[in-house]
Amino acid sequence: MSYMMYVLLFGLVLGLVAVASNPSPYFAALGLVVVSGVGCGVLVSSGGCFLSLILFLIYLGGMLVVFAYSAAMAAEPYPEGWGSWPALRLMVGYVLGVGVAWVFLGEGWYEEDWGGFDGLVGVSVLRGDMVGVSVMYSSGGWLLVAGGWVLLLTLFVVLELTRGLARGALRAV
Amino acid sequence: MAPPIYSALIISLGLGTTMTFASTHWYLAWMGIEINTLAIIPLMSQNHIPRATEASTKYFFAQATASATLLFASISNAFLTGEWDILQTPNTLTSSLITLALAMKIGLAPLHSWMPEVMQGLSLLNGLILSTWQKLAPLYLIYQIQPTNSNIFIILGLLSIIVGGWGGFNQVQLRKILAYSSIAHLGWMILIISFSPPLALLTILIYLLMTFSLFSSFMLTRATHINSLATTWAKIPILTMSTPLILLSLGGLPPLTGFMPKWLILQELTKQDLAPIATLAALSSLFSLYFYLRLSYAMTLTMPPNNPAGTLPWRLNQQHNTTLMALTTTSTICLLPVTPAITALLPL
Repeated sequence: MSYMMYVLLFGLVLGLVAVASNPSPYFAALGLVVVSGVGCGVLVSSGGCFLSLILFLIYLGGMLVVFAYSAAMAAEPYPEGWGSWPALRLMVGYVLGVGVAWVFLGEGWYEEDWGGFDGLVGVSVLRGDMVGVSVMYSSGGWLLVAGGWVLLLTLFVVLELTRGLARGALRAV
Repeated sequence: MAPPIYSALIISLGLGTTMTFASTHWYLAWMGIEINTLAIIPLMSQNHIPRATEASTKYFFAQATASATLLFASISNAFLTGEWDILQTPNTLTSSLITLALAMKIGLAPLHSWMPEVMQGLSLLNGLILSTWQKLAPLYLIYQIQPTNSNIFIILGLLSIIVGGWGGFNQVQLRKILAYSSIAHLGWMILIISFSPPLALLTILIYLLMTFSLFSSFMLTRATHINSLATTWAKIPILTMSTPLILLSLGGLPPLTGFMPKWLILQELTKQDLAPIATLAALSSLFSLYFYLRLSYAMTLTMPPNNPAGTLPWRLNQQHNTTLMALTTTSTICLLPVTPAITALLPL
């Protein structure tokens, strides 16, 4: 189990490095998809299986849509992958940075228990993450309304930003 | 922009700051800050010119980085200490990281690089919202952190005062000058926040008054460059009297209001046995005073080349509503004698 966690976290860091090394959007969005998938695996290993499921459906689903659209918009004949020299040197740099951070700050993070979602509750019928969702609908009160309003606001923001069409500057093509 | 969307964005600006002000949990405070960032982006790029879109993009990058750092630091704090309460942030590594994240949010040196170029791309009204309203929520969080070690605040403050002065030296664009002025004033505010939070509150209130007056004066004539400022004398002569006074108040000259926070801060720093820091701060403010003086000089003491038609405009019935601007301008110029009353009322 600890090996599984190790593989998942390794994939997480590698995926983040792959995004941050600035390749063509084809590959960077692929890195994002990999990161969200592997992140869901990390969540499962920490005990938050419901949250992981929801994240997989909503976030990864959305990320796949982002990947598809960025692949469509950033189509170029010779995309710059991770083998090109600028992206490769950034990748190596970031991996070295992670190594340095591990050496200095990694005390106590190897083979230690991260603490699961149920924490101090002990043995209980109520799971931490599932109850959280239902609590937001019952005792969450105005926070539920605020959450819904922010989602609507995000829609307005995106619609307003991409409204330019011919007179905007958001697209270079 | 369609009125329903415009109202939704303005309401969300208010909602975000209110949420941060009303919260004791770090997560809710972060939520409020994110709502503010989200709501102001379309307001910034509403005229759809490339420069404004560039400014919104840069603003979004800077604020997203700072928000991510803030969330990371508060979650790490909860992981290490089990405490989500804002007032109970123990002085660990995470407290300093939270301070740095909030400092990047409001544009303190050395995390200030985004500020001048973002301000330059915005219209004057958006610049006003950026330098007044958007600063309130992060400043309130910094106010509540209640640190025990003042080193980080002194470094941030001194660097901001120096950068705010030195950076504005060679600028001719008014919005960049206002950005550097904001950096310098927030530097004064954060310098004193660990010694006397009420004084920091006073500094930020007086700064809000002064900057509102200055922005309003610039908005009346839509001046964005020293050249357009210099031809204001023909259009609205009263501004050539009031704007230099506002500028000198921003520079911190007695007998104007802007002297009050600087004076009280220098006094407090001396009482805390930090006289060299007080001296350095006071001397660095001279940089800012130089470019405020240059603006006043260009406005009042020069008559730049102008065509004859520009020197005698028709006096038509203008539709400006200058009530609030008159109130804040008067406060910017005349509030210094009230200092004893304010000092007595401060700890409230």
